[in-house]
Amino acid sequence: MSFAPHQAKLALEALEVPVGCVILEDGKVIASGRNRTNETRNATRHAEMEAIDELVGQWRTNRLSPSQVAEKFSKCVLYVTCEPCIMCASALPFLGIKEVYYGCANDKFGGCGSILSLHLGNSPPSGLISTSDEYQRGKGYKCIGGIKAEEAVSLFKCFYEQGNPNAPKPHRPVVQRERA
Amino acid sequence: MNSDGWKIIHIPEKPTLPPEHQPTVKVYASVIKPKFANTIVRQLCKIAPMEDFRHVKRVRKKVIPGETQLTVILCLAPENNDHLNDMPSDVQKLVDPYELSPFITEVSKFAAVSKEGWEEQCKIWPTSFHPPTYNIDGIGGFSEEDTQSICKFMRVAIDLAVSGHQPLVNAAVIVDPSVRRIIASETDQLYPSSAPRDMTIPLNETGESIHCQSIDGITNASSDICLNSIREKLNGSLSAVTCLNPWQWSLQPDDDTEKCSEWHPLRHASIVAIESSSARDRYLFPNSSESFGPDHSQLSNAGSPAKKQKTSSHSPDVQNDSREETLGELSMERPYLCTGYDIFLLWEPCTMCAMALVHQRIKRIFYAFPNPTAGGLGSVHRLQGERSLNHHYAVFRVLLPGDAHNALDQSLKHIASES
Repeated sequence: MSFAPHQAKLALEALEVPVGCVILEDGKVIASGRNRTNETRNATRHAEMEAIDELVGQWRTNRLSPSQVAEKFSKCVLYVTCEPCIMCASALPFLGIKEVYYGCANDKFGGCGSILSLHLGNSPPSGLISTSDEYQRGKGYKCIGGIKAEEAVSLFKCFYEQGNPNAPKPHRPVVQRERA
Repeated sequence: MNSDGWKIIHIPEKPTLPPEHQPTVKVYASVIKPKFANTIVRQLCKIAPMEDFRHVKRVRKKVIPGETQLTVILCLAPENNDHLNDMPSDVQKLVDPYELSPFITEVSKFAAVSKEGWEEQCKIWPTSFHPPTYNIDGIGGFSEEDTQSICKFMRVAIDLAVSGHQPLVNAAVIVDPSVRRIIASETDQLYPSSAPRDMTIPLNETGESIHCQSIDGITNASSDICLNSIREKLNGSLSAVTCLNPWQWSLQPDDDTEKCSEWHPLRHASIVAIESSSARDRYLFPNSSESFGPDHSQLSNAGSPAKKQKTSSHSPDVQNDSREETLGELSMERPYLCTGYDIFLLWEPCTMCAMALVHQRIKRIFYAFPNPTAGGLGSVHRLQGERSLNHHYAVFRVLLPGDAHNALDQSLKHIASES
């Protein structure tokens, strides 16, 4: 869990909200990402999405089929410095990621316990499930927070002290611990 | 083009109860003599105030031939028994002096949220109704002009989902309502069938997606075709609609994906449309230090749309101007994400997409069909009611004319009932 904060620091240096993420397979980092919402002007480009896209890109290049990719995701562990937001927390069970570890909680829009508890599963009506594989993905994922939370919070503090030059003028009051 | 048969329904922050099924509470009441009315009400307000029932009128007035009958609520009654002797002693003391004959009746537990609900409430006991005040255009109703515009953009979304896609997919059209301009129009792209799109040229020279020019040309005839086409396709498989089946991407047969080098499990229509709108932003405003339009920043919480709309109503034809000229328009000031924009979707977005639309600061969401498996705007979760979020949009369902939506509702109910 030192790779994810490193990614968050890269985000901070790039004047982005400092959130970083890494994805591991068999204990080895296979993808990483950091927040790029300001650079892309796309507020959905969270660290998790960046790391996931890197991974999907790799696997597509290696000509893995969707079912092989699903198999791969089911063995992945994701580390992120801040609790996944509702969007990312919803996306993770779509992919079937096995386990998620995060740093600080996200009391504005956290999707793993703070606002919604999407890690507990958003199972489709059982009539729609045709395979056990699908059931696995609707079921949710193991999720543990509080890992190096202080480090994650101190990065946010740095960010909001330096201000967000990309916010529209006049500056809206900056939301503490915003995950963008 | 007319909007006959189309209906736009606001999907509020909290689920609303059907007007005829509102919860009630039991109260003690009594007919009173008009000469005692003032005294009794004054005393009751002291000894049995009904703080949580301010919407309930304390006195009911009925005009029956020859006289006016007044009935007053004495106090709340226990919910689990009908004994008249459970009245608080303070209230009991009023019975003899004022010749009361207490009985138990019911009143509505919560204030009405709609006129229809209020009318139902008044059938059991009169209440007061204060229509809520809203700060996003349309929650209180749409003008005929706005309704037509909304129908038009929903047709664009339907057209997009239907044309060239077999089976049916979801479609997303992002619109700047102040100038009725399409900002982005995309479909689900889990398995993009055509050649990969080059994100550097998704727009024509005015920064518009190609659909923009054609929307005013939609005739009744062509839109009927579009509605018939969706009706037909709704009877087929909906398994390719990503937001309805976000878990099913891995079931795609391998030979299909051989042909497609750009497949991605999370490329739902809303996500792709957001990406496209941000690409437009970067293309039109390459200098990231350029300041945002003042109106747009004021609009960031959807508070004051009136000013911008007034300005833009004088220039409805800006979409045909050249890039330089349009950039000169007030309406072309750099947007902050999708602040002030609408999105039109065929299906209620899943929770992932619904949250993506919060992040991107969309102002209003219009969808045609609910999403009972994964919907994030009322069906499974209800993000418009999550007050902690840093941005809030208004959500509307657009009912298509005829039976298109009914057919779908039934097919989805059928699926749900199998579970």
